[in-house]
Amino acid sequence: MRDVYVIGVGLHPFGRFGDKDVIEIGREAVVAALEDSGVAWKDVESAYCGTVFAGPMAGNKVLARVGLTGLPIMNLENACASGGSALRLAFQDVASGFCDIALAFGFEKMPRGFIAGNPNDWFATMGMAVNPQYFALNARRHMADYGTTEDHLVRVSVKNHRNGALNPYAMYRKVMSYEEIANSTMVNDPLRLLMLCAPNEGGAAVVVASREAAKRYTTRLIRLASVVLKSPLYGTAEVPYIAVSSQVEAPSVTRTASEAAYEAAGIGPGDLDLVELQDTDSAAEIIYSEELGLCGRGEGARLLDDGATEIGGRLPVNPSGGLLSKGEPLGASALGQVAEVVWQLRGEAGARQVSDARVGLTHVYGALGNCAVSILQC
Amino acid sequence: MAAIITGNGPCFELALKMTVVAEKSRKPIREGLFAEDANGVSLIGGRCRECAEIVFPANPFCPRCCRETTEPVALSRRGVLYSFTVQRFKPPPPYRGPDPFVPYGVGLIELPEGLRITSVLKAEPDDLRVGMEMELVVEGFFEDEDGNEILGYKFRPVEER
Repeated sequence: MRDVYVIGVGLHPFGRFGDKDVIEIGREAVVAALEDSGVAWKDVESAYCGTVFAGPMAGNKVLARVGLTGLPIMNLENACASGGSALRLAFQDVASGFCDIALAFGFEKMPRGFIAGNPNDWFATMGMAVNPQYFALNARRHMADYGTTEDHLVRVSVKNHRNGALNPYAMYRKVMSYEEIANSTMVNDPLRLLMLCAPNEGGAAVVVASREAAKRYTTRLIRLASVVLKSPLYGTAEVPYIAVSSQVEAPSVTRTASEAAYEAAGIGPGDLDLVELQDTDSAAEIIYSEELGLCGRGEGARLLDDGATEIGGRLPVNPSGGLLSKGEPLGASALGQVAEVVWQLRGEAGARQVSDARVGLTHVYGALGNCAVSILQC
Repeated sequence: MAAIITGNGPCFELALKMTVVAEKSRKPIREGLFAEDANGVSLIGGRCRECAEIVFPANPFCPRCCRETTEPVALSRRGVLYSFTVQRFKPPPPYRGPDPFVPYGVGLIELPEGLRITSVLKAEPDDLRVGMEMELVVEGFFEDEDGNEILGYKFRPVEER
């Protein structure tokens, strides 16, 4: 395997953009990443597109507006991990020597409101299978097991909105007060509206290259040290489920994916300078901090109490504002995290810059337990 | 505890077709979800003949052995509330419930067989506590287009007696 480097990242802002065409959202992200990389479009050798809601052949439609160069393009859908899956494939192409420069991109224009269930699903008809229910069930159990409180849930959201107010690509570029979040509408107890991320619109793209190719475009080499995609082991509870075994003690998919990513990169959680993780809801940030090995089991809320996860803290979590502030365009979210880490490692993150950032991790978790983790290092 | 329904092949099919004995206008939301015997109604799961893993709903496939090795089994009517939430907004389609919408509890019920089942709860939200004992009830959820009452399952707190 060859080392792989990120040489360009680009985003279309995350938010709501009226009648704007989803293909145009994707095109703008791809063009931004190409411009950032300095790579001519004709020199990109393969492309992978992740999207859930943009329809069949959406990636081809975007690339038709960038230029028809004959390169192979694959369209894939992998729920919230779609963009991370596209990145893994681009990584594999370069790592294996199959090509020298590859593109991963993802974009989305999601329906408003909570994601709808399968119309023939008896379980959803009875009133279950709604995503935030599962987030709330996880939150409540964490509170019962480890003493995590509603105050913690509010403060995760306060932190991420404060960070997101500094991010020009975020949906809510606005500080939200403790009271505003604590008094927002209850959705699924204990989770309130401003403790949940909003499905929305946006695009992101990442250009990866071999070392030799990367050196033609930049002197600031950022290594994509690992990209891991995992599905869950039997016995773990993955959204949405009717029933789950309590006899089988299996590690969560976030744990298995991150352990594999640390091992492949030769980097441990103690080496990280920042983390962008799947804060679908406030409690998820606390729970995934533990599953990513940033702290021990049950200690996620203490990281928050200690101020460790603030931009100026020991290990900043979601300095971009996370999904809570950016919103979640499924196909773009993982690649948006990678863009944030790249900007942080280059020292280009402006007011939300983490000082001396050299190693960062990204993490997405999607329906039925698809999980993608990447580690970047400069 | 209801008697275990055993068998395989055609017997499995037969057991899956067992439903609550009721008048024509009452139908389970899905065939084979629950069944009634002399002791009352139970959810029907599948138990693996090889590894004893339990699945719900009943399904011939054991996800642990990765083979079609399960047979139907009546599950315990009582379990413990592992976690819960309250559904405060009307879920998107295909949800069918009262109009106007009425909030309801959703919880994970841990059964002694080693299974956690997601269930609608029949309880006042303020009464819910992690660890409380819950019991199964089968009741109407909504009426279909032909006026049939569609039955589903809920769990409710066990009343002190």
